[in-house]
Amino acid sequence: MSQDVIRVENLTLHYEERKKPVLSRLNFSMEEGENMLILGPSGSGKSSLTHCLNGLYPRELDGSMDGEVYVQGRRTVSYPAGEMAQHVGVVFQDPETQFCMITVEDEVAFGLENLNTPYESMVEKVEKALSWVGMEDYKNISDLSGGQKQKVALACILAMEPEVLILDEPTANLDPVARKEFIQLLKKLKEELSFTLLVIEHKLEGWLDLLERVLIISEEGELAYDGPLHDHLKTYAREIHEMGIQLPYATRTALERGWTPPYPLHIEKMPSADLPANPHREEPAGEVLLKAEDVHWKSILRNINVTFHEGEWVAIVGENGSGKSSLSRILAGIQPPGKGTVSLHGRSLKKWKENDLRQEIGYVFQNPEHQFITDAVYDEVAFSLQHAGMKEAEWTRIVEETLKFCRLDGLEDQHPFLLSQGQKRRLSVATMIVEDQGMLFLDEPTFGQDEKSTSDLMSLLKEKHENGTTIVMITHDMELVDKYATKVLVMNEGEITFDGQPERLWSRSDLADHHLELPPREQWKRSVLKRKEPAYVSS
Amino acid sequence: MFLHNVNPTVKALTIIGTVFLLAFVFDPVTPVLYIVWTVIVTFLFGTFKKRYYLYYFIPFTLFAFGMFWTTIVFSDTASGTTGTVSFLGMEFPTEDIWTAAALGLRVLAFASLSLLFLFTTNMVHFILSLIQQLKLPPKIAYGVMAGYRFLPMLKTEFQQIRAAHRIRGVNRPDSWKEKLLQYQRFAIPLLAGAIRKAERTAIAMESKGFTGAKERTFYRPMKVRRKDWLFPVMMFGMLGVTIAFSLYFGYFSWYDGQL
Repeated sequence: MSQDVIRVENLTLHYEERKKPVLSRLNFSMEEGENMLILGPSGSGKSSLTHCLNGLYPRELDGSMDGEVYVQGRRTVSYPAGEMAQHVGVVFQDPETQFCMITVEDEVAFGLENLNTPYESMVEKVEKALSWVGMEDYKNISDLSGGQKQKVALACILAMEPEVLILDEPTANLDPVARKEFIQLLKKLKEELSFTLLVIEHKLEGWLDLLERVLIISEEGELAYDGPLHDHLKTYAREIHEMGIQLPYATRTALERGWTPPYPLHIEKMPSADLPANPHREEPAGEVLLKAEDVHWKSILRNINVTFHEGEWVAIVGENGSGKSSLSRILAGIQPPGKGTVSLHGRSLKKWKENDLRQEIGYVFQNPEHQFITDAVYDEVAFSLQHAGMKEAEWTRIVEETLKFCRLDGLEDQHPFLLSQGQKRRLSVATMIVEDQGMLFLDEPTFGQDEKSTSDLMSLLKEKHENGTTIVMITHDMELVDKYATKVLVMNEGEITFDGQPERLWSRSDLADHHLELPPREQWKRSVLKRKEPAYVSS
Repeated sequence: MFLHNVNPTVKALTIIGTVFLLAFVFDPVTPVLYIVWTVIVTFLFGTFKKRYYLYYFIPFTLFAFGMFWTTIVFSDTASGTTGTVSFLGMEFPTEDIWTAAALGLRVLAFASLSLLFLFTTNMVHFILSLIQQLKLPPKIAYGVMAGYRFLPMLKTEFQQIRAAHRIRGVNRPDSWKEKLLQYQRFAIPLLAGAIRKAERTAIAMESKGFTGAKERTFYRPMKVRRKDWLFPVMMFGMLGVTIAFSLYFGYFSWYDGQL
């Protein structure tokens, strides 16, 4: 009988500042070589569980931990500090903050140095670990993309050869293509190396082929399910979804359409009958609103010529580092272009007064916290109105309407920094629409948001758009592009390489070269067409 | 190149040693000669963008000149002057000029030595060498290293916050009071972000088995080899030669309560 690598008995975790336990009476065990997924809505104590498993808690815990955690049959508390790293390795969510060295090699070696690995075998191990993840040709960590950083983070852990590998939402900060690549890499490594794999997620997409067993933790931190993943999902998708866990497109669509279980898990398994028609996209009949001519900026943007009409919903897509953010900032007048002109209503942005321009164009930054300037939600929304010299009766009415519109009523006195991720995002949008700006830029508004807050945000934007606001949105999410955009701009190495309707983009064959993927609806359509094609060639 | 390969701790101690000795020298000739020597060594045995060296040198030159100028302008009237020198259309006692030049040039000598170190030393190697040669506790050393990585991140974040606040219409403070308030507004998101980042980094480091213990092996072993001693011998030797030279020609003086 194979031994349990990890065994958790009656684990209950309390933080000092919270009354309710984060984790409550958890029981489970993992055998050697097993692959398990831990699912739970945000705030269900998934990350806290990681800290319990790798021995960080109870050592660094402000609170109390009851119950036992065994790794290799031995209680975690009985391991000397530092030794746990040989048994349990963790890759964390944020690719930026997992490193303490400057170069890739040094970072991989850091863990080995901590384990007192002799010099000769260290050199060999660093080389091997980097070749496993395909990162041996890179030098400085700061030059890497998010996806590459996560691969390096993985190499750091693999180099130490732990028996258990824990990945704590490893792809939450990656774009969809990098996410796919990372999961692909794991699949490959799993075949070559032997380790026990534990993935913690609130998003299911992509993991289905790799992980067989699932552990579901409820919002109260209790064990809700422990067993095979596929069978459970096929029947109980609705319950899982209601917990706030993001389902794969196929399953989600099945729920929306009210299909009967067993639900499909993959797009290839979706029925052909219910295929939706192409979304109806109106040709914007509006006038020219914003126009960029021959814009260049540093070595980042080249030959930018683009026109935005009133009433459009434009999505800017493209690989990280292709100049999307720079472009949007220049268009919104935050950054003057090096060469060329941007004009709003036919007048160059240079000639606009800053205050007048801000009443026309709003810009929502990627990190909502950056935009907060007051200590209460209400003041935050009221700020620009008060400064515009409006009558009190009038601005209080507008602030209340805006708060209601963004579903922030009832939170007026909260400090903006204490809101949830989704609320922060909606507040940052609220501050940018309160002056009824005609044009709104958003830099990856759904990044790091869970499904519920994404759909809240999108329905809010949709309503704004229907009332005539022109929206320009940077995103990686092709499903959103397909659903909402009237026009797409593809950026590649500082140039706009595509400017047109989404349908025209989907029909192009070079999407992968631009780090783009087809939206799931289009994938479904194609898979249906493929099924209808008679097979002439037998393989 | 030679300078880049010298053990960083040996290099740092040499620089500190020469700076210490130069601090006791109080004539302008010795530092001038030593500056020339240091710059020659830096350019001959170091590889870096020469243009940047000049950029870095400019503020030190201004500072040195300021020192020179304030010393002659605000000096006590020297007693028993041997003569006067005309400088920028004004007459100054020779002694005062001599003292002022000694002070100003000393600043430049310190600057050239520091730049030698700065331009030929890898920060990471220096820290690793401090751990291995001078037994700096790894807890502090790796903390500094992680912080060093954070600096560019903080800079971009600061720029982002500034742009984000501008959009909110809080730009251009008119009074110092508003300016203070604005920086306070910048500080909160910046600090909140930094604390969160630092905490995550600490957790990641600990998860990789970092305990701060002194016993650890090194991927980049920093050793003091025999040829590393060439640098201190060269630098201290030349300092001796310079002093001997000024002594021989009668320029030399120790610090002896001048000023």
